[in-house]
Amino acid sequence: MLNLWMRASVFITLVVVILMLGFLVSQSWPYWWQYGIGMLFAGEWYPYERLFGMAPAIIGSFWAAVVALIIAIPTGIAAAVMSTELMSGPWRGLLRGGMELLAGIPSVVYGLLGLWVLLPFLQSSLNLLTGHNLLAAGLLLSVMVLPTIMVMAQDALHEVHINQREAALSLGIDWNTRLWRVLLPQAWPGIRSGILLALGRALGETMAVMLVVGSMDRIPDPWYNLLAPAQTLTSRIGREIGEATFGSIHFAALMACGLLLAVATIAISLLAQEKRGQFTFFPGEAGSRKK
Amino acid sequence: MNTKRKTSDMLVATAQPATTTDGVSLQVSGLKLSLGGKNILRDISFSLREHGINILIGPSGAGKSTLLRCLNQLHADWQGEMLIMNHHARQWPGGTDALRHQMGLIAQKPAVFPCSIEKNVTFGLSSRERKHPPAGLIERVLRQAVLWDEVKDRLHESAAILSIGQQQRLCIARALALSPSMLLLDEPTASLDPRSKQLIEASLSQLAETMPLLCVTHDIEQAQRLGGQIIFMCDGRIIEIASADTFFTRPERLEAREFLRWSTCDCS
Ligand SMILES: Nc1ncnc2c1ncn2[C@@H]1O[C@H](COP(=O)(O)OP(=O)(O)O)[C@@H](O)[C@H]1O
Ligand SMILES: [Mg+2]
Repeated sequence: MLNLWMRASVFITLVVVILMLGFLVSQSWPYWWQYGIGMLFAGEWYPYERLFGMAPAIIGSFWAAVVALIIAIPTGIAAAVMSTELMSGPWRGLLRGGMELLAGIPSVVYGLLGLWVLLPFLQSSLNLLTGHNLLAAGLLLSVMVLPTIMVMAQDALHEVHINQREAALSLGIDWNTRLWRVLLPQAWPGIRSGILLALGRALGETMAVMLVVGSMDRIPDPWYNLLAPAQTLTSRIGREIGEATFGSIHFAALMACGLLLAVATIAISLLAQEKRGQFTFFPGEAGSRKK
Repeated sequence: MNTKRKTSDMLVATAQPATTTDGVSLQVSGLKLSLGGKNILRDISFSLREHGINILIGPSGAGKSTLLRCLNQLHADWQGEMLIMNHHARQWPGGTDALRHQMGLIAQKPAVFPCSIEKNVTFGLSSRERKHPPAGLIERVLRQAVLWDEVKDRLHESAAILSIGQQQRLCIARALALSPSMLLLDEPTASLDPRSKQLIEASLSQLAETMPLLCVTHDIEQAQRLGGQIIFMCDGRIIEIASADTFFTRPERLEAREFLRWSTCDCS
């Protein structure tokens, strides 16, 4: 009976995912058919002139996620190491509770905080015309994905077996070496899952990003310029979906943005769920992780 | 073996303050440890000569593992006197990590690291020595642990594919690579196949010629095979210290007689 339920729920999940992708494909079909896949690399997006180049938003999404991860990965792992390895009980609980609180805050609240606090700060300290830019989006996202990375890294560190810790300790290996050669490598599969989940969240986050990114469809110039107003796939959909008539080519183009996001996040979460232990820190020794 | 046979009371009475003693690698006196408000080690005094086998024996829960962990400083808040190679354990030159190199600890369950056999052997070395291990070191310690012939062709393969018995010998080699001045073994052959048991015993007998071993075992027959000095522990105290011959034929203390009787019953 239980087995039947499990099979049914797996089946339903698969059907929902396939239906969703099918819907996105069918709705964006006119766009792909008219403009072709080359639009992924085109730089102009002017709906009134019927130009629908995807590149600015793709690059924007990429940069926002990269900035977020560059900050959140070291911070989250460091926080996890602090709390599992160095802090005593109550402090550990406090840190974890704080992280769970951060994870529970609605994203629009982050967006508003970003508007009121982060943007003026960026504008004045970097002397910009406006604080709306990819850096702001990335900074905001880094706070939002931090709990994911930290909590997953914490769980992964907890799973490193006490025998392994004591074996390293009893050999007289110092703390740094234990951290880099025992704890982190053995926790890596779990940490990696956390990073991928965080990446998925960073790519998919809409509200907070939309409020701070500036929503200008321009390819960053030069390519690493994070300080000008820009656009992400999510913020574009969020801004424009209300203005696009259902069935129009503009609508189809926005659906195409949605399809890109869906494919990217599904791929990322599949990677994250990939069986632990298949990845290893030690090249040529795959599958060597021991229980 | 002259008169090592003393009661714990006499041992306490004769416990010397820390002084230099020739031919003694480890001297422990009045060692106490409590964990979670419970006195686990109550008054441990004994010494190990500069080589030879010492069997730590006693019922389950006597505190044998805890004692070994104290010697390796995994439990750091013990009280009492611990002299290792004529240095106070607490003021060991180079600190606790350097001291742990000297006190190779082999756990009951082998914990090999998920990397190659070779890297496991050199795991405890400094990063420079790990990159360029001293010539012949890996072969020497693997031979000492009686593992060389089984792994010499696959040093770069993962240690996780070794059998448990091989992993235990790898752990011995890993500890030996640090040139310890003694080995502490916590039931190293419990739950191993007879073949591995035999190989490890052979390895221990060899090693005992160059350094003192302190080996916990449940297995009375193994203790008789290995011989040497028997340290009998019960309920956090050392009850009797005697040579193997004496201990197994004419144990002095009632607890020891009881232990031997029940253990023999268990075996048959
Ligand atoms: N970390 C600990 N905290 C509290 N009690 C412990 C701890 N470790 C061991 N003990 C207790 O110490 C006693 C001795 O344990 P142990 O040294 O493992 O015995 P043995 O190895 O002789 O079987 C046991 O009663 C055990 O419950
Ligand atoms: Mg034990």
